Amino acid sequence: MSILEYNGAAIIAMAGKDCVGIACDTRLGAQAQTVACDFRKVFKMSDKIFVGLAGLATDVLTMQNLLKFRQNLYELREDRELTPKVFSNVLSNLLYEKRFGPYFIEPVVAGLDENNQPFLSGMDLIGAPVYTDDFVVTGTATANMYGMCETLYKKDMEPDQLFETLSQALLASLDRDALSGWGATVHIITKDGVTSRELKGRMD
Amino acid sequence: MARRYDSSTTTFSPEGRLHQVEYAIEAINNAGTCVGILAKDGVVMASEKRVTSGLLAPTKSSEKTYKLCQHAACNVAGLTADANILIDQARLRAGRYEYQYCEQIPIEQLVEHVCNYKQAYTQYGGLRPFGVAFLFAGYDAHHGFQLYQSDPSGNYSGWKATVIGANNQAGKSLLKNEYGSSSEEKEGEMKVEGAAEEIAMPDVNEALRLAVKVLNKTMDATATSPEKMELFVMSLKDGACVHKILNKDETQKVIDEVEAESSAAGDS
Repeated sequence: MSILEYNGAAIIAMAGKDCVGIACDTRLGAQAQTVACDFRKVFKMSDKIFVGLAGLATDVLTMQNLLKFRQNLYELREDRELTPKVFSNVLSNLLYEKRFGPYFIEPVVAGLDENNQPFLSGMDLIGAPVYTDDFVVTGTATANMYGMCETLYKKDMEPDQLFETLSQALLASLDRDALSGWGATVHIITKDGVTSRELKGRMD
Repeated sequence: MARRYDSSTTTFSPEGRLHQVEYAIEAINNAGTCVGILAKDGVVMASEKRVTSGLLAPTKSSEKTYKLCQHAACNVAGLTADANILIDQARLRAGRYEYQYCEQIPIEQLVEHVCNYKQAYTQYGGLRPFGVAFLFAGYDAHHGFQLYQSDPSGNYSGWKATVIGANNQAGKSLLKNEYGSSSEEKEGEMKVEGAAEEIAMPDVNEALRLAVKVLNKTMDATATSPEKMELFVMSLKDGACVHKILNKDETQKVIDEVEAESSAAGDS
């Protein structure tokens, strides 16, 4: 058993035309046992930055608090908002600080930059980042999610189409993974605001 | 005679004084005035902006008021360089508290932390004290809106209304007469506990006008204008603290209201 697979998670972030979407499942388990079905792993850091944290639940919650702390300090000192790229670097730096005793999380960052263009990044548990312009996935069902995204993804999708694509990709991936599922939440971020929806899927 | 005892911060004089600390306080009495007034629905802080040169580049959002966390802010009188260190300390402390407890730091604890930091420089290390006095404005669920003042010695106290910086005595005497207009009003020094027991606590708009009135008295120039002062208001909106620095038009409006009041009352 891998420590990263103890609680279970599935997160996809996808880019569209002047928008990004990020979706996660809502299962919290203790190996085979399901403990909660409302444990969201995607957090809003600001109107333009969302972060998805997959992995050990305790580290997910701790990292969320730590990121909030660092974001507040940045905004107080610099008197301006964090941009997604800088936020991603902060996260990467935080993870590498614990290089020899890491946080067991593999995050994704989704947001809109200063020009309201989509930004996506993913990283491993010690902070090695990857920047893409299409999609990033993380969690216990990555093999499924990569397959679904490669098949369903198209460039420059409008927000409504992005929502459909993202939801179908996630829902189909969850079904074949025992450790994720039990509900899903999708956020679509545009310059005019965020739309969040709950998905109805198999509750098993 | 005091000379022998005034170069080291960590030595008392025979009269039981710490001269370095007192000299630090002197440094602040030459700095731009800051007024703080507690209102029933918020806290108001007004400060004198000393523009030394027209060539100075415009600062970020403020040069006197600093946000410490979502529910606290402070005004500075004294050496800005010293203040920057302390403000950073306060921000870190507030952030760490929230990280540890997932709750906002109570204002007095934040003030006490900054003051303890200042006190260390009056007792250890042979370093000089910080030449800064602060006005802290904050809100917490335990005691509502609060106003605190701190000085280089690390001493602090809670106030309903107070003044620091140049001509603070003149400012304080005006406040003594005009704040609350209640006869049993003391100097206004007390820890604010719970809701306003004093009948005549002003609201934020009255407090703003009173603050401008105090600044008019303490500032050297006879004509007051929005460029020379900075007005800050902290209030609650939908349960969360809102920090607002009034823009030029809003500041002018308050100045005009104070003008109208004083000419109507026939003040000189």
